[in-house]
Amino acid sequence: MTVSSLPRAPAVTRPGVLTRFLHRHEGWRGYLLLAPALILMAVAIIFPLGMTLTMSTWSLAGYDINQTPGLGNYAAMAENPMFRVLILRTLTVALTCTLITVILVYPMAYFVAFHTWRHKALWLIILTLPFWTSYLLRVFAWKVVLGHEGVLNTGLMSLGIVEQPVAALLYSQTAVIIVLAHSWAAFAILPIYVSLEKINRTYLEAAADLGDGPVRRFWRITFPLSLPGVVAAFIMMFVPTMGEYITPLMVGGPDNMMIGNLVQSMFGPMNNWPAGAALAVVMMLTIALAGLVFMVLNKLVQR
Amino acid sequence: MDIVDQIGALRCGKLSRRAFNRSLLALGIAPVMMPVLPRRATAAPEDHATWFTWGGFDIPDYFEEYIAKHGEPPNFATYGSAEEALNKLRSGFVADLVLPCLSDVPRWSSTGLFQPIDTSRLSNWADQISELGNVDYNMVDGKQWMVPWEWGQTSVAYRTDLFELQGEESWDMLWDERYAGRLGSLGGGADVWWCAAIKAGVPFDQIHTDAAFEKISAVLRAQRPLIRMYTDDTTSLDTALAAGEIVATLAWNSTVVNLTAAEVPVKFAQPKEGALTWVCGLMLHAEAPKIDRAYDVIDSLISESATVALMRGSGYGGPNRKAFDQFTDEELASYGLSRNPMDVLQAGHFGIPQTAEWDQRMTATWEQIKLGF
Repeated sequence: MTVSSLPRAPAVTRPGVLTRFLHRHEGWRGYLLLAPALILMAVAIIFPLGMTLTMSTWSLAGYDINQTPGLGNYAAMAENPMFRVLILRTLTVALTCTLITVILVYPMAYFVAFHTWRHKALWLIILTLPFWTSYLLRVFAWKVVLGHEGVLNTGLMSLGIVEQPVAALLYSQTAVIIVLAHSWAAFAILPIYVSLEKINRTYLEAAADLGDGPVRRFWRITFPLSLPGVVAAFIMMFVPTMGEYITPLMVGGPDNMMIGNLVQSMFGPMNNWPAGAALAVVMMLTIALAGLVFMVLNKLVQR
Repeated sequence: MDIVDQIGALRCGKLSRRAFNRSLLALGIAPVMMPVLPRRATAAPEDHATWFTWGGFDIPDYFEEYIAKHGEPPNFATYGSAEEALNKLRSGFVADLVLPCLSDVPRWSSTGLFQPIDTSRLSNWADQISELGNVDYNMVDGKQWMVPWEWGQTSVAYRTDLFELQGEESWDMLWDERYAGRLGSLGGGADVWWCAAIKAGVPFDQIHTDAAFEKISAVLRAQRPLIRMYTDDTTSLDTALAAGEIVATLAWNSTVVNLTAAEVPVKFAQPKEGALTWVCGLMLHAEAPKIDRAYDVIDSLISESATVALMRGSGYGGPNRKAFDQFTDEELASYGLSRNPMDVLQAGHFGIPQTAEWDQRMTATWEQIKLGF
């Protein structure tokens, strides 16, 4: 009796090479699942980023671009005080409006998290209502409100509070901050709301049982536990406002242009793409640095 | 199957899931099966030439002839300043026609993006005011780089009721400290820089020198604190001037025409130093995809009817001699125009072509001044 005469076992289809490989290596399974997103990231983010970096080392010769790498653009930026002033101004505007917004929306988020029981989704929708219109439209709407013959000025004049329209309402840093704060408010509300919402209510009851009044209870429990949300709100608002270009262009006067406007004019009318790319890189670094500070704060807070 | 019945069933909550699905299916199939509604057979947008032009010129008024021939106006793409347009074209955007100004021609044609226009293909060419484009740098082997279309002035537009004139009209009006924060300006260096040269007393044939750069920059820096807004968007200037938010501004003819039509007391100054004058026109892309239609667009734009529409609608001078018969001398004067264009163009200062390097330096300097440095 030979082995070959035995009835054959039912054929087991052996898994393919790829399946076996993936079965053995868990890591690769992960990468394969991530692949669509990673490819998109590589194409849409990393490649343009690399191009920006490369271009920032080129220089301009008439209408043509000289592709020998060099750091001339960065050196020119270090020499020219304009860049420092603009970056500082942008930082100031972004920080101020982020701070104002976070302080203003915290009570709103608190109210929805603790004092509404029904229709929470509806409340959230109402809070994010400004986001339902186009960004450009919102800025234009503010122009109508703050303008020379705008809602605010005509209102003040008909009430007899002022005789002449208040010129400082529009085309000022205040206007830029107001518009930015309003436009990006929803980005600040949501993270704060989420972190407030997930606070364990039993802590608050325990604090009350142990004799804490409402104010102490807020400062000792609610506020520290909501800080991760506050930090997230800070980052979510600070990063986009740093790169703002439309708002200062439309409601900021000649004195309130931000770094985004300079980047735009370098890629637009000045037609100096290498310098614009270098400026974009510096801006990214500034934002990254600021982001790092927030991150460290976040870590400190969570400890 | 009775539809009314189903609605009744739905209302009482008696409609079965199957019946509901069936009606959904019917609803879905119906529109697909419906015969396509009769549609007028018109040309698709891809059949038309594209005119890359200043925002505001993208209207059908100038295309009576083109529409008569092809049924629809051509396609439009718009820009806010000519340099923005050149940048976009240089980075690969293709449009059949674009609208730069005469002094840009050498710089633009040297990019290799354009081809000379064969004027013998234009049926309206005989009626053109030929002096408008008659400079040697515009001519190449009997053809023209640019076919002139509009001409006019860049000058001071001011509110006659709000701006108290001291002496003669002059460029000093835009440097008047009494009206600090109530003056406006265009945003593009192509206008501002040259006007500042007139104010600074720099002759245009000296404008490329370092000394000129210093003088003009100084004048513009001195003006900046007085300016409420720099904008490429003339509508913003028009509304601000109408509201009295600004009392005087650097402007083109159109601002005055628009505001006069709205009965705002406004005047286009004839500064004693002379205004900045210009001629702008059409250039043909070297790889114009619809070149025959592009010639039709040019022909339509330089026709008598388009010229009348241009002059009446925006106050710019047009290219067609015949159109001038429809205007009185007073009308022309109020637009800042004249029956003989050369009277106006030569009375003012006409831009002189400059190199790409000059343009780059001028724009970079001007953008920095605008930002406050």
